[in-house]
Amino acid sequence: MVLSSLDKMIQLQRNTANIRNICVLAHVDHGSEEYLINLIDSPGHVDFSSEVSTAVRICDGCIIVVDAVEGVCPQTQAVLRQAWLENIRPVLVINKLDRLIVELKFTPQEAYSHLKNILEQINALTGTLFTSKVLEERAERDTDCQVNPSSEQGEQVYDWSSGLENTDDSHLYFSPDQGNVVFTSAIDGWGFGIEHFAKIYSQKIGIKKEVLLKTLWGDYYINMKAKKIMKVDQAKGKKPLFVQLILENIWSLYDAVLKKDKEKIDKIVTSLGLKIGAREARHSDPKVQINAICSQWLPISHAVLAMVCQKLPSPLDITAERVERLMCAGSQMFDSLPPETQALKAAFMNCGSEDTAPVIIFVSKMFAVDAKALPQNKPRPLTQEEIAQRRERARQRHAEKLMVAAVQVAVEPTQDGSALETKPKVESRGGEQQAESMAPKAVPEGENKEECFIAFARVFSGVAQRGKKMFVLGPKYSPVEFLNRVPLGFSTPADELPPVPHMACCALENLYLLMGRELEELEEVPPGNVLGIGGLQDFVLKSATLCSSPSCPPFIPLNFEATPIVRVAVEPKHPSEMPQLVKGMKLLNQADPCVQILIQETGEHVLVTAGEVHLQRCLDDLKERFAKIQISVSEPIIPFRETITKPPKVDMVNEEIGKQQKVAVIHQTKEDQSKIPEGIQVDPDGQITISTPNKLATLSVRAMPLPEEVTQILEENSDLIRSIEQFTSSLNEGRNTQVIHQKTQEKIWEFKGKLEQHLTGRKWRNIVDQIWSFGPRKCGPNILVNKSEDFQNSVWPGPVSKASKETTKYRDLGNSIVSGFQLATLSGPMCEEPLMGVCFVLEKWDLSKFDDQGGSDKQNQEQSILGKEVQKAGEKHSSGAESQELQDGCPERFEKHTAQKGETSLSDCYGPLSGQLIATMKEACRYALHVKPQRLMAAMYTCDIMATGDVLGRVYAVLSKREGRVLQEEMKEGTDMFIIKAVLPVAESFGFADEIRKRTSGLASPQLVFSHWEIIPSDPFWVPTTEEEYLHFGEKADSENQARKYMNAVRKRKGLCVEEKIVEHAEKQRTLSKNK
Amino acid sequence: MSIFTPTNQIRLTNVAVVRMKRAGKRFEIACYKNKVVGWRSGVEKDLDEVLQTHSVFVNVSKGQVAKKEDLVSAFGTDDQTEICKQILTKGEVQVSDKERHTQLEQMFRDIATIVADKCVNPETKRPYTVILIERAMKDIHYSVKANKSTKQQALEVIKQLKANMKIERAHMRLRFVLPVGEGKKLKEKLKPLIKVIETEDYGQQLEIVCLIDPGCFREIDEMIKKETKGKGTLEVLNLKDVEEGDETLE
Repeated sequence: MVLSSLDKMIQLQRNTANIRNICVLAHVDHGSEEYLINLIDSPGHVDFSSEVSTAVRICDGCIIVVDAVEGVCPQTQAVLRQAWLENIRPVLVINKLDRLIVELKFTPQEAYSHLKNILEQINALTGTLFTSKVLEERAERDTDCQVNPSSEQGEQVYDWSSGLENTDDSHLYFSPDQGNVVFTSAIDGWGFGIEHFAKIYSQKIGIKKEVLLKTLWGDYYINMKAKKIMKVDQAKGKKPLFVQLILENIWSLYDAVLKKDKEKIDKIVTSLGLKIGAREARHSDPKVQINAICSQWLPISHAVLAMVCQKLPSPLDITAERVERLMCAGSQMFDSLPPETQALKAAFMNCGSEDTAPVIIFVSKMFAVDAKALPQNKPRPLTQEEIAQRRERARQRHAEKLMVAAVQVAVEPTQDGSALETKPKVESRGGEQQAESMAPKAVPEGENKEECFIAFARVFSGVAQRGKKMFVLGPKYSPVEFLNRVPLGFSTPADELPPVPHMACCALENLYLLMGRELEELEEVPPGNVLGIGGLQDFVLKSATLCSSPSCPPFIPLNFEATPIVRVAVEPKHPSEMPQLVKGMKLLNQADPCVQILIQETGEHVLVTAGEVHLQRCLDDLKERFAKIQISVSEPIIPFRETITKPPKVDMVNEEIGKQQKVAVIHQTKEDQSKIPEGIQVDPDGQITISTPNKLATLSVRAMPLPEEVTQILEENSDLIRSIEQFTSSLNEGRNTQVIHQKTQEKIWEFKGKLEQHLTGRKWRNIVDQIWSFGPRKCGPNILVNKSEDFQNSVWPGPVSKASKETTKYRDLGNSIVSGFQLATLSGPMCEEPLMGVCFVLEKWDLSKFDDQGGSDKQNQEQSILGKEVQKAGEKHSSGAESQELQDGCPERFEKHTAQKGETSLSDCYGPLSGQLIATMKEACRYALHVKPQRLMAAMYTCDIMATGDVLGRVYAVLSKREGRVLQEEMKEGTDMFIIKAVLPVAESFGFADEIRKRTSGLASPQLVFSHWEIIPSDPFWVPTTEEEYLHFGEKADSENQARKYMNAVRKRKGLCVEEKIVEHAEKQRTLSKNK
Repeated sequence: MSIFTPTNQIRLTNVAVVRMKRAGKRFEIACYKNKVVGWRSGVEKDLDEVLQTHSVFVNVSKGQVAKKEDLVSAFGTDDQTEICKQILTKGEVQVSDKERHTQLEQMFRDIATIVADKCVNPETKRPYTVILIERAMKDIHYSVKANKSTKQQALEVIKQLKANMKIERAHMRLRFVLPVGEGKKLKEKLKPLIKVIETEDYGQQLEIVCLIDPGCFREIDEMIKKETKGKGTLEVLNLKDVEEGDETLE
């Protein structure tokens, strides 16, 4: 479980089969009884804790393996916590004891104290889990009390105890004398619990076995003369029993073998009554000898499995508490479930195999299997005799030198060697029902799918029979809803039931016994067993509950210790292979319980995995199994938003702006003027006046930052805005057919009221009524306000004003203005990202001169600018156009042609006027933004980090390095875990999870959720202007401008020009070409 | 001993020459490589980082400095720095390797961005990412032409990409309102230009909502104007019909 290095993990995962929860079926004789143990191995790496989650759900107990040298690792904590959460009983195996002897060269005494230490650590962990649970329960009780003040007051006041005192927790802890700890060395094949030695020594020394059991572990020593066991007096240096009777023996054996002390070995072997084969005895490698001796003396399998049989519960012993926990999702109380559902509890507890018992199966995950590996698809020999026959045949053929055939057959038995070993045993002993139903069926299936999904499941109650109809209950299914829809005591066949959300009906097609990689077909599976179910891939995505009765609630969702957090964008190497990739990703999503797949608006396929190692495995799976194409992986595209702010009051060194001397000749704000071309007038308050290329229309636009709350309201109500927009547009078309629903109407007024509430002040007076449009895409967080006096148009639905001829024309051209606004908000001037929280005010826009075709005075235009209101500059273009009045084909884009006399040819060398208006409006908006202080907005994650106190500092270091900000930090009650809440820019999050895990050695685990957009305070165009700034930041000042860094990265990605020198220092470039 | 042995042959390295013809004379200045374009775009503000020397030459490689009277007659001044600035902004430049490289790369990116912006995968109605388009462009060995606008080239690229992958320009959603009389007739004419007709409503007027290829917009627009004598209207509902929002794959 505890692997020493990541490299080894990666090396191991090459073989995908090594990583899965392999379910191996073993059959154990323990005493007079026979047991069937479903053993599910799960990987220990944090990234794969999802595999642990899926396995833990369907188990009744678990073996936690701890390295004797490394002790308790973060993974151990995680695994213990998961076992605790699922309410299953753990037993402990302390492995690699041989390393204490061989590598660390501990004396038995040292080893004993080391082991004691490890045990204490683990028990401390269990203790914290226990206390936190008790405290939680207590908190719940308290809140209950507050809810019902009628409960006895006196008790509440005087109950100062934490509740810990009353709750017995002794049974939880690991202790060798309880029999739930074994010490092993798997590599040398030995292991023991103290019971084994207690038995031996009770005969040898003649002390009662019970006494020995209590005293073999702990600070007791034996007084040989008095045959008495006494408490150790530290000062006397007496050895504890465990050292004296157990460890020293093992140590002396190792000592003898390693020193190749032939005589001593023989002595030990004979005294233990073992028989060592001559080959092993002569072997030069001491490891082989130790293995040979120990595996006979203290066989590991016996020690561990005996403990499993004794200490772990059988499916029948499922606790009521666990059943209730499984059935009640979230904070729901068990009592609140419908009575039909409550009745199922009994079925759980019974675990009965009668026909009447309801069948309840939980599918904890789906795993992909090569279709060729399915038993029905491969006709292969199964009985011992057949194999023997084949072997015989092979030998004959070999004798006949038919090499080709021989190889083929010989390979097959070795591949499923493990299956061969176990199976005959099961069959011959016949202790379990599986035996008789194991007859293989060589039914080749017609469909030739490459990957098949098998559901990894467990029967909790009833007998799963092949072909039985079952209800598939998704995680969101609610039995209450079903009972509401279907009358009680329904008797209709399942197919005719009314559709209930998250419920489907299917038949169990194939049932399999899982034997490592091998699958065996079964006809039926009795309760308490683990099985594989085929043919569910269309019904079950990742996990589900199958039940014969629809009143069963779905089991609570699996607890995933690690949530998916590492995001990457995945693309096929060859663009034409996109469909394969999508298909492969779908399969991967089903096969892996802890992976998320998103398609983003940008068209990216984003894969979200639990960690780097998990990611690597997912990619390998995708490449080799599911998609079978070359893929490339990259950092996902990070979105930004552009906005403007109020002009800052202080400069970068916190000096008041305007008081400082402008220095730095180079850094004069030369650009500000040059950026804006001629023909555009800028008022000091940021109003932009611009005419269309043909000088026929002039617009004046101003940009204002919206208050933060308003932006938020707009974000939240985008759907509502969309419907308003649809309604108004249809209204404008003159079709009143569509009637707004009463409820929407109310919502709209509420929305409007909210906006009015937040947009107060002189600047914003009456502005809500003048809102013309929202953008981008007509529903975004930006506003276009129309303040021109002679033309009213508002987005709010209301009585349609009588459209006079004049306004019709405005409205039609108005569409172009709105389009221009939409385009401008879709891509801002900084890096072509959408805008957010900007209000554009169309101060003046007047087309009155449009009708006066004759009047071609430019003065009008100038006047209007002086008067701070831009009239429409109706400059007639050419006298030729005048004569050509009443032209039919006015190629205007959005204009409704009323065939008026006033409308003449609007097209000229610059194209149609409406098109010009769009472009002009867009330009006007852009320049209006330019003159305001522009800022970039970054997407932010909220980041919850659980960390222990000792790594807190390193968590903070990682956060601050990545521009994160800690919002709060609090201690979790009853534990030593801290919960840190922080915000982190999405742009900095790539590799964050990995880094934080590395730096804290896995003790902190972050979770990232997108939360909001935040303005980056620094100005991307900032250059030092005052003396202080110059001193503080230097000439270039490009070192710490976060906003500029982001902006340039985006511009570079998009191929926009970046203000960056190709060569920094002209003198220092390499000038010789390669061939000189 | 030959005069052109490597030891006495002096090569100009790190020199980019900017030339200008004025008053029938040719003037040259010696600049550093990869710097002139930066100066012109305003990124480089330090003149000394651009100019090797402030003197004006007749021939840089021979080291012939221009005569003062020539300078006065051509530029009206003998301030060498001023003249250098003039020549820098107006003269003809040798574009150096790195400058050309970055320019082409930038254009390549720009083209890919435009293509990605305009196109969708017709099956999913989702756009392709820029990186994917870039790779596809490399696959078809598209070479950027420096003298053509990126938009023009983007349209060309779309055409070529269609042969290799499933890509299509995002459709434009339009609404026509046509008078009933001409409507039917016009509809037949419009049909070959329309990709998908979403709704059709014969009320008092014929109303059609449809998807078209953006390339046909002008044609349709003109046709409607002409045929209905300005009575029909045309409204753009959506510039590009693309799936919006994120989607979780299940």
